[in-house]
Amino acid sequence: MIFRELPPAWRLPLLLMAMASLLAGVLGGLARLAVDVPVAAQLRAGGHGALMVAGFFGTVISLERAVALHRFWPYLAPLSAGLGGIAFLAQGPWWLPPALFCLAGGLLFAASLAVYRQLPALFTFTLLLGAGAWLAGNIAWLLTQDIGVAALFWMGFLVLTIAGERLELTRFLPPQALGKKIFIALLATICLAATLIPLAPEIGSQLLAGAFLVLAGWLLRYDIARRTVRQSGLTRFVAVCLLAGYGWLAVGGALGALGAFTPGHPWRDAALHAIFVGFVFSMVIGHAPIIFPAVMRVKIPYHPFFYLPLLALHASLLLRGAGSFGDTWAWRQAGAILNALSLALFVLTILVSVARGAYNRKPIV
Amino acid sequence: MNPPLTPSALPSPEQVRTSLRKVVDPEVGVNIVDLGLIYDVQVSPEKLHIAMTMTSPACPMGDMIIEDAETALAADWPEAPPANIELVWNPPWEPSMMSDKARGNLGW
Repeated sequence: MIFRELPPAWRLPLLLMAMASLLAGVLGGLARLAVDVPVAAQLRAGGHGALMVAGFFGTVISLERAVALHRFWPYLAPLSAGLGGIAFLAQGPWWLPPALFCLAGGLLFAASLAVYRQLPALFTFTLLLGAGAWLAGNIAWLLTQDIGVAALFWMGFLVLTIAGERLELTRFLPPQALGKKIFIALLATICLAATLIPLAPEIGSQLLAGAFLVLAGWLLRYDIARRTVRQSGLTRFVAVCLLAGYGWLAVGGALGALGAFTPGHPWRDAALHAIFVGFVFSMVIGHAPIIFPAVMRVKIPYHPFFYLPLLALHASLLLRGAGSFGDTWAWRQAGAILNALSLALFVLTILVSVARGAYNRKPIV
Repeated sequence: MNPPLTPSALPSPEQVRTSLRKVVDPEVGVNIVDLGLIYDVQVSPEKLHIAMTMTSPACPMGDMIIEDAETALAADWPEAPPANIELVWNPPWEPSMMSDKARGNLGW
């Protein structure tokens, strides 16, 4: 039998590699906050950001794009990213993970270029810029041997990817000329900030954060979620996740604009995790019931229980943020542990839902 | 071999569209027919041919929507031939392709 693309069952190993990065990344993050985790995770705590963004998100986002393109070669991107995460976990030569992530970033950029060429539009261009930000971050890591320099590029990767996808959905609403102009200005500002970051890190990162703050306002104003939140079931759940996430993007952007993206800043943990956890994982929790079935071809029936991991994530992030502001280490640590448990609850919810979907699909005879 | 279906046992294109209205884009909460994703429906005793598009080439939901559409048609028209749903990209989807009802619901 000849397949024109990778069959769903073959996508599972890619997803498992991503999950390995997620698990090790979360444990590594806890180790950084002095939580007692297994020694193997402690030893890899320095790669927390790389495992979370490049190993986990890089793999799943490039897998999602490969599924959309219906061709074989784009699957090499999630394969490279997944292997990059595994290479980091296996503690191979230092250059191997960033080299594999560079390859993955290049392939995702090529796949995003294929998407742009198929439909040249502002939203496909935004997705292309997002892929470019990931590639830039990975190259910066490879050249400097410092994961820290990649962090803001990786943030740009996730924020631009989400913004591009949300921009696409605004086409269902009446066109807004001013909204489009503001979005283009934001893209230009983000590109300028990315150029400034290596030359003048403080100004560059504050400009980037300011652009993210305005982008949060843009999303709250123009996103379809404002309308779909009035619907019911899964559609409303997705909208609630998005709107809550935009709030966190605004918080992270505001803190970053005040200088919190700078290494060593007391609010840095709160600023980075407002965006990486509050904004990005809200999007993940909202879209997993839609995207996971599309990638793996399983059913995930909606259940109001989906709100529980979302609520847990936001409540624990509030606690963590309060710990950062009040300089209360115990709150920060407890918030991070509860962040991790919220994600575990989310993964469990998805797995139980897949089982429910499989059970419901059985023919009644 | 079964005898070919008579035309009266086949759904009309409009009936096919009615069945496809059961497939809803969960993000927007509107079905694929009212979103304007169904470009063409042709019914013959040999096959139900449907040309469908997606709003974005970056969206991974195409195959799943096709599967849901096939399931909806098989449930409503068990005696009809299997649906052959083709994913097409030309012309690209535009908001004007949405039904008046969908556009009204979305604030147009």
